[in-house]
Amino acid sequence: MGDKIVILEDIQKIYQIGKVSYQVLKGIDLEVEQGEFLVIMGTSGSGKTTLLNIIGLLDKPTSGRYFLEGEEVSKFDSKKLAYIRNRKLGFIFQAFHLVPWATALENVLLPLLYRPEGFSKDDEKRAISLLERLGLGERIHAKPKELSGGQQQRVAIARALITNPKLLLADEPTGNLDSASSKEVMNIFKELNAEGLTIIMVTHDPEIAKNGKRIKVIADGIFVDEKQV
Amino acid sequence: MKNRFKQIFLKDILKELLANKVNLVFMLLALIISLTALNTIYSLGASAKKQVLDVLANLQFGKDAMLVIAGGGKIIGVTTTRTDTMKMKDVENIERLEFVKLVSPWVRGILEVSYEGFSEKMRIEGVTPSYSLANNWYTKEGRFFSEQDLKNMAKVCVLGAEVPQKIKAKQVIGKKIKIGGEYFEVIGILEPKPSFGHFRHDERILIPLTTAMRRVFNKDYLDAMKILFKENTDIELAKETIRGILRQNHNLYGIQPDDFRLITPDMAIERFTATTRILTVFLLAISVISLVISGVIIMNLMYANIEERAPVIALRLALGATPSNIIQHYLTMALIVALISGFIGWWLSLGLMQLISFFSPLKPLFSWTTFFISLGFSMLTTIIFSLIPAYKATQIEPSILLKSL
Ligand SMILES: Nc1ncnc2c1ncn2[C@@H]1O[C@H](COP(=O)(O)OP(=O)(O)OP(=O)(O)O)[C@@H](O)[C@H]1O
Ligand SMILES: [Mg+2]
Repeated sequence: MGDKIVILEDIQKIYQIGKVSYQVLKGIDLEVEQGEFLVIMGTSGSGKTTLLNIIGLLDKPTSGRYFLEGEEVSKFDSKKLAYIRNRKLGFIFQAFHLVPWATALENVLLPLLYRPEGFSKDDEKRAISLLERLGLGERIHAKPKELSGGQQQRVAIARALITNPKLLLADEPTGNLDSASSKEVMNIFKELNAEGLTIIMVTHDPEIAKNGKRIKVIADGIFVDEKQV
Repeated sequence: MKNRFKQIFLKDILKELLANKVNLVFMLLALIISLTALNTIYSLGASAKKQVLDVLANLQFGKDAMLVIAGGGKIIGVTTTRTDTMKMKDVENIERLEFVKLVSPWVRGILEVSYEGFSEKMRIEGVTPSYSLANNWYTKEGRFFSEQDLKNMAKVCVLGAEVPQKIKAKQVIGKKIKIGGEYFEVIGILEPKPSFGHFRHDERILIPLTTAMRRVFNKDYLDAMKILFKENTDIELAKETIRGILRQNHNLYGIQPDDFRLITPDMAIERFTATTRILTVFLLAISVISLVISGVIIMNLMYANIEERAPVIALRLALGATPSNIIQHYLTMALIVALISGFIGWWLSLGLMQLISFFSPLKPLFSWTTFFISLGFSMLTTIIFSLIPAYKATQIEPSILLKSL
């Protein structure tokens, strides 16, 4: 039994559209331990992304409590949340979201731009070795549009790792990739997890889900099933 | 490695700017046009004033000088009093004041001047030898009047620099020209003086004061005098003292108005620049308005940019940028735009002034003050009008990142 990195208690999310309120999350309880590789599955519209946004501090729950490494982050202000996102969390998006005018290396360094202490020569070396490790050693000065989808997602992974995050969050990371690139990305995830990184990944693809150690299924805003792989 | 950090920070902003060139060009254009106008107008005003000052300084009408003109009333306009009361006695009394360096009295009039085939009415001034010193104006050929000329009421004259050409005379020194029916021997030619506007300094003819009063104009009173003070004289005090002497000599008491006017350089400059100032204020108001319009244009373009960049801004927020990081990012962007247009606008205004100087007597004026004022205005405008869009950028929800696609 490791330490619990994420604890969610009765998380609810209600969207208000005009007079109609629409409850997407209907009481989510979740505990994620250090070193886990959790996969959240569910059909389209079941609330997977909504949940991941809340775990990633990109959105706030309507009610419920959220503890990240023992701190109740649901009470933090925007500045503190920015700090946690920058120091503890890494994001991988389906659409990669690289800055189009920046090179691979500059994209990887981007999170460090928002640290008051800036970054050091060592950080830059670390960024280069991350890109090398992900097979992009030759492409560090390439722009996103000069890279394939798989390569772009690997740049995004390097960007998520540069801050040494405690928790890696990924929403359909292979959604825009062909099967070969998907496999590559999943191998990287497994490798990182083997090194001790906690990962929470959202997908609706059962094949991709098999890469995780634990799978939880969400349907209509609540967890309905859980299985160990 | 702080420098490398700044380099990437700035590079990021510059590349974002260049990513939408049309937007950038319009932002620059909006600012450049109004800054060019602002700069040009400001500089032309400064140039006009400087030239007036230069002309006055060249005529020894600096801070230690004063003019006394016969006849009371406003500085400009018709006299409302007698004009025949200022006499040589006044000059003698004023010369005796310890703070007075010298006094140069004169009379003037317009008289027919003829030389060989030429004949035309010209400006004639009767002056004393002190005229040269008082006006920093010497002969370039021949000599000026001596005390002897004055004592003898000699029929000699000194010509303004443009007179020989005007009366079509060559080697005119020693020759005689006819002024108001009498023949005068030319003894000297004055060096040329710069003129401002339509007032031609170099077309006058000088004759000795005594000759002018007794033989030519036949009057015993003066039209004006120029007084030079010793250095560090309290001008206000000097003015009051002289006013007292003149009022006493002219038998003016109580509420009787002065029958003379005391004019200091400040008043002369005031008079010269009053008309241009109204115009300058008006034009400055227009350019400030145009600057505000540029500001609004920039604000809208900034909005458009931020809307277009919403995903990137959301990404920055997701990666840990604080609201103040985002504001810093867009205000730095605004500053870059301001600096570029500030430089270009200033440079263009220099060119425009060069062009204007071909058609007007105004000379282009290079001034660091204008440069920094324009840069300051430029930065102020862009920063103020970028604040709201920048704040708007911080309100973008980072959760849109996972929604898109
Ligand atoms: N900002 C919003 N306002 C209103 N409704 C929203 C908003 N965001 C999401 N929803 C709704 O909430 C529900 C869950 O959305 P969510 O994106 O979490 O689903 P998902 O499980 O990620 O689906 P998919 O697999 O298609 O990505 C959907 O019905 C969606 O329409
Ligand atoms: Mg989703």
